[in-house]
Amino acid sequence: MAWEDSLVIKADNVGVTVGAVTLLAPVSVTAQRGKALIVLGRNGTGKSTLLRVLAGAQTPSSGMVRIGGAGVVGRDPGFRRRVAAMFGLPPMAPDLTVFDHVLLVATTWMDRSTAAADLARGVIAELGLTALSERFPHELSSGQTQLFGLALVLARPFEVLILDEPEQRLDFEHVESVIRVLRARRDRGATLVVATHSQVLADGLADRILQLDAAA
Amino acid sequence: MRSRSRAAIGIWRARKVRAPGDRAYVIYAVFMVALVVVAPFARAVWLSATSPEGVALLVSPSAPGATVLVAASLWAGALLLGRDRGPALHPAFLTYALAASDLPRSDTFRGPLLRAGALVTAVTTTAAGLVACSVMSQGLAEPFSAAIFTGVAVLVGVIATVAWLAGQALPRAAVPIALSVFSLGLVTAAVPFMQPFTPWGWVGLAYPGTGTSHTVVPLAVIAAMFVALVPGLMNRLGFTVLAAQAARWDSATAHAMGVDFSMAAALYRGRPYTGRQIRAVRPVGRLVWTFLARDAIGAARTPGRLVVALVALITGSILMTLAFVPASPGWLLGASSGLVMFAGLGPLTDGVRHAASVAGGFPLYGIRDENLLANHMLFPLAIVALVLLTSVIVCSLSISVPPAAPLVGSLALGLLAVFNRVGHALKGPVPPSLLTPIPSPMGDLSPAFAVTWALDGVLLAALAGASAALAFQTPSLLVVVAAAVLGVGINRWHHRGS
Repeated sequence: MAWEDSLVIKADNVGVTVGAVTLLAPVSVTAQRGKALIVLGRNGTGKSTLLRVLAGAQTPSSGMVRIGGAGVVGRDPGFRRRVAAMFGLPPMAPDLTVFDHVLLVATTWMDRSTAAADLARGVIAELGLTALSERFPHELSSGQTQLFGLALVLARPFEVLILDEPEQRLDFEHVESVIRVLRARRDRGATLVVATHSQVLADGLADRILQLDAAA
Repeated sequence: MRSRSRAAIGIWRARKVRAPGDRAYVIYAVFMVALVVVAPFARAVWLSATSPEGVALLVSPSAPGATVLVAASLWAGALLLGRDRGPALHPAFLTYALAASDLPRSDTFRGPLLRAGALVTAVTTTAAGLVACSVMSQGLAEPFSAAIFTGVAVLVGVIATVAWLAGQALPRAAVPIALSVFSLGLVTAAVPFMQPFTPWGWVGLAYPGTGTSHTVVPLAVIAAMFVALVPGLMNRLGFTVLAAQAARWDSATAHAMGVDFSMAAALYRGRPYTGRQIRAVRPVGRLVWTFLARDAIGAARTPGRLVVALVALITGSILMTLAFVPASPGWLLGASSGLVMFAGLGPLTDGVRHAASVAGGFPLYGIRDENLLANHMLFPLAIVALVLLTSVIVCSLSISVPPAAPLVGSLALGLLAVFNRVGHALKGPVPPSLLTPIPSPMGDLSPAFAVTWALDGVLLAALAGASAALAFQTPSLLVVVAAAVLGVGINRWHHRGS
């Protein structure tokens, strides 16, 4: 199949096995620019494994993945710039405040310092964390920490955003605000791949749903 | 103990009844450890203490003053330790169950307190007994004087235990009290005139050979008063403090049992609460300055840790300077310097640890992992250069030693210590291969390998210190150790995140 401009992710028969254990049964999937692909499935069906393969954190046992027409190489600078991912919480520095963290991430991606500060403030405000800007990570609740983790990932540029259960630890109201924030990124042209157990998040964000069944 | 307390603790203990075979194995293991590790170590300590150099040190005029400082430091340290891990603590679930009940703490937590007190008192008594016997064996002290000093050590242990409990029950008050005790101890050690007026001074006055027995009575009175405070202190212990301390201790021991000492230590790392108004990230000019400022301000947000780090670096540089004094045990002082500097660099390398964890995960920063790590190394390198340069020159001039050699040794060690810290940060979890049995004619070697792996940073630090102290005699040793430190770091860098 010829590569189409709008096609950002293309995975053909991607599967992962470790010894006799199948972590991800072979699956094919595509995602287009400015669209959200939601991955659903029960525990153990390989949602996180598929996302890790797409993010370059795991080599598939079979099949092939291409993102933006190129192979997936986790440490390639071009790939790193294009693809952002969050599995669990990103590493946090205990001696930096919430704002320091987000600003530092933004600063490393931008040439203009004022733009970095504006971006950091904007992302923090989008996720409703402004009042918590001066807190250290250990002073946040689990839900606030989850939002903070999302803020760190959203403070960097990306064409593809891969999120594994971003609704974890969040109440309904905050899931709604995360949907709003992600929808805004999608509408600006980012491709989203989100694994979730939340039907609310799936309904609010999905352009396409991939339902995974139990691995063999 | 009330029947309800006894019943609850009985249920807890009954969950893991050892079979006779298991009990026999524990006795065998304890016996073998005593035979293979404890006995040779005790013999080495005794031989050192009774050697001409050891005796000269123990009967030197400064020994009673040093004893004053040791007593004050022990009590101050016990107060501070209680804030993080007090003596009145059961395993996490039992602590939770007992602390949430209406039973008095003086009843439910008496057992662990008594065990902790017995341990502390045994350590102080053994140490003092060793000193007293060493001095007495050379005919430099009467048996009565030696017995008095040993008895004083028992009281020191009792007071230390209560201070430890006080730190647990009164965590806020513990810091100023501990600082006051340590400062006054320092002053008393320097001004012998003050010794008769302070409890730590009384300990120094009872030193064997030179001391007096009169100080036992006031110390005993103070110890009795402290013991009388115990029930009140125990009943002040809050549920939150007990539950948090027990949970943290359980996690730390679990990590330590899995030879992951770094993770265990990380659980007790100080957290920042100050300096949040000062902007740590200042995106101006080159990124390297942004990271330098970020690390400096980040370190200043835990001022206690920063001060400890600076004091450790200064102490390390003094030890390294002394290693170049003719006829001094250079390798020993150098190794001690290496260990102290490695410990001191811990609070200065938070950024390095963060870079290592980011480099093993998904991309977050817009710069290469190598650049991120290099940027975070700048702060510890700058501090090491600044502190070592200053303190070695001052120390060399004050003891009339040419500063060039200690300066080279210190800076070489400082550089290696920073690289050793980087390698340590990149270490990752213990390889599963080390947790599987390694049969040999001498038995299973896997515990020895696992412990060596866990303590490799410390061992490399000691080796780096010793080789830096001998840099002008056997430069090849320094080259080999430097290659080992760099090799370990580079290897871990290539395998990061895997």
